[in-house]
Amino acid sequence: MKTNERLYLDVHVLQTVPPSCVNRDDTGSPKSAVYGGANRARVSSQSWKRAMRVIFEEIIPQDSLGKRTKRIVSMVEKEIKKLGGIEKTEEAAINILTAAGLKIKSAEKGADALFFMSVAQAKALAELATEDPDAIKSTPSTEAKKKAKQALKESPGIEIALFGRMVADDPSLNTDACAQVAHSISTHKVNREYDYFTAVDDLSPEDNAGAGHIGTVEFNSATLYRYATIAVHELHRYLEEETAEAVKAFLNAFVCSMPTGKQNTFANRTLPDAVFVTLRNDQPINLVGAFERPVQSGKNNDEGYVEASAKALVKHANDVHKNWLGSPVLSLVIGESLKELAGETKPLKDVLDTLKEELQERLRTGGDNQ
Amino acid sequence: MSTLLLRLAAPLQSWGVDAKFDRRGTQSIPTKSGVIGLVAAALGRRRDEGIDDLQSLRFGVRVDQAGDLLRDYHTAKSVKSTYVTNRYYLSDAVFLVGLQGVETLLKEIDTALRIPTFPLFLGRRSCPPEGKISLGIRTNKNLVEALQEEEWLISDWLRRKEAKYVQLPIVVEVEKETGGAYYIRDNPISFDQNHRKFGFRLVTEIEAKVVINNESRHTVQGDTTAHDPMQELRGE
Repeated sequence: MKTNERLYLDVHVLQTVPPSCVNRDDTGSPKSAVYGGANRARVSSQSWKRAMRVIFEEIIPQDSLGKRTKRIVSMVEKEIKKLGGIEKTEEAAINILTAAGLKIKSAEKGADALFFMSVAQAKALAELATEDPDAIKSTPSTEAKKKAKQALKESPGIEIALFGRMVADDPSLNTDACAQVAHSISTHKVNREYDYFTAVDDLSPEDNAGAGHIGTVEFNSATLYRYATIAVHELHRYLEEETAEAVKAFLNAFVCSMPTGKQNTFANRTLPDAVFVTLRNDQPINLVGAFERPVQSGKNNDEGYVEASAKALVKHANDVHKNWLGSPVLSLVIGESLKELAGETKPLKDVLDTLKEELQERLRTGGDNQ
Repeated sequence: MSTLLLRLAAPLQSWGVDAKFDRRGTQSIPTKSGVIGLVAAALGRRRDEGIDDLQSLRFGVRVDQAGDLLRDYHTAKSVKSTYVTNRYYLSDAVFLVGLQGVETLLKEIDTALRIPTFPLFLGRRSCPPEGKISLGIRTNKNLVEALQEEEWLISDWLRRKEAKYVQLPIVVEVEKETGGAYYIRDNPISFDQNHRKFGFRLVTEIEAKVVINNESRHTVQGDTTAHDPMQELRGE
């Protein structure tokens, strides 16, 4: 890939959730936002990214994963034990992490903030600890410190490269994310609803007509517009030949995930109504403007929100492509309602495979094959 | 001197200054540090690269749609404890931002915003911009002229809901301390992760001369849901 080449992947998803409370605030209300002057259902980006990372556990090789945890001492110690050769493994793990620039409270408490470390980075630190006795002294040399910090910066793995890492203790360990996930919002106006419920006490005496418990659950139902984008050219700098696989995993996880909030109460585990995936050589495009004017469910409620949202998205995407920015270099669609945007619709599996092949080709040839 | 105009709009944007870990606020208008950061990202400047040229651009904002303040309750769980942070956003806002400077630099920025090196966001990474950002260069217009002459950026259907005459506030940088001018700590000096640095800059709020004569205003606007409880009474 040429150094000045741009390659952006955009994913647009329309997804309907039934009565549910996927993401709520401190008062138990489903999150919301105003857009186009109308109240919308909202699911925060951090909530959905967490759900994606759960899927990553299953589809990404262990070494490319990351752990967001305070217990980094035991994470590194585990790798040191695997290599063998060091007796005081816990002390070695604490010292090498300190040498890398992190503040470690104790083996038990670990770091004082959640730290995002890839399994590969834990391994690299363990290797350094085993090979260089200087690095695990309580006062390591400047040279050893440098090496330890380097180990913590290199091989960020798929997760850290995609989602980034912020380290308050030592900003030089920060990694800027290559992926952006927008907060999802409903394509239409949403009113919050309240479910007043009573629970029966199974063992209450027969002459007691009262409820054992009463309460209220807030919920809404919505057709959501979900958007995410990846700067593939940037991701390629971190991951090289792993890039296409990482993008495929991201798309797969973004499309198939659902945050777990109140899922046992509402069983709202739906899949998307339709998905539109594009590759562009200029800039990412967020198509949320299609819904700035809240979608209506048809004059006599005969269209529903899904069909009406799909129509609005197709119209807006065509407008943007025709009037402003030109068509994407690759368009893929899952689902009949958005078919017009790609000319055909494919099953998820085919879209994932096509995308991976296409990316491998483009990253190898520098994108000259348009 | 020319002025490059940007449109900053999205369901959410967040323009913080002086953020602390558990409370991350937003100003009511885009910050210069946020916008210069966005421009630097488009140009592909790494965080430790210089931004003197960008910082010297004269910066101004017109509030086309003020939006609503939104508090987002955010938790992060570790094994034993839960961090709580409150993040503030502006939802449903639309701003016109002007950058005044020499045309060669503005051209470079205009091009970069159309083919950005890094993905762009409005203050936070979870706030990707909606629509096109760069509206192009207004040649030989100074900042105030450009901000005053540009058309109202609000969408047609919302325009109909607004009043007959609308005044749009404008906040611009000024050089001299005149009446009404004040300092804010929002002058980006370095984005280097190891020593981020911000200084002060002097701004003033212009008594908005932009008065929109909103011809397309409707007196009656239907509700956006299909449900109309008054329908029975009207006998439709």
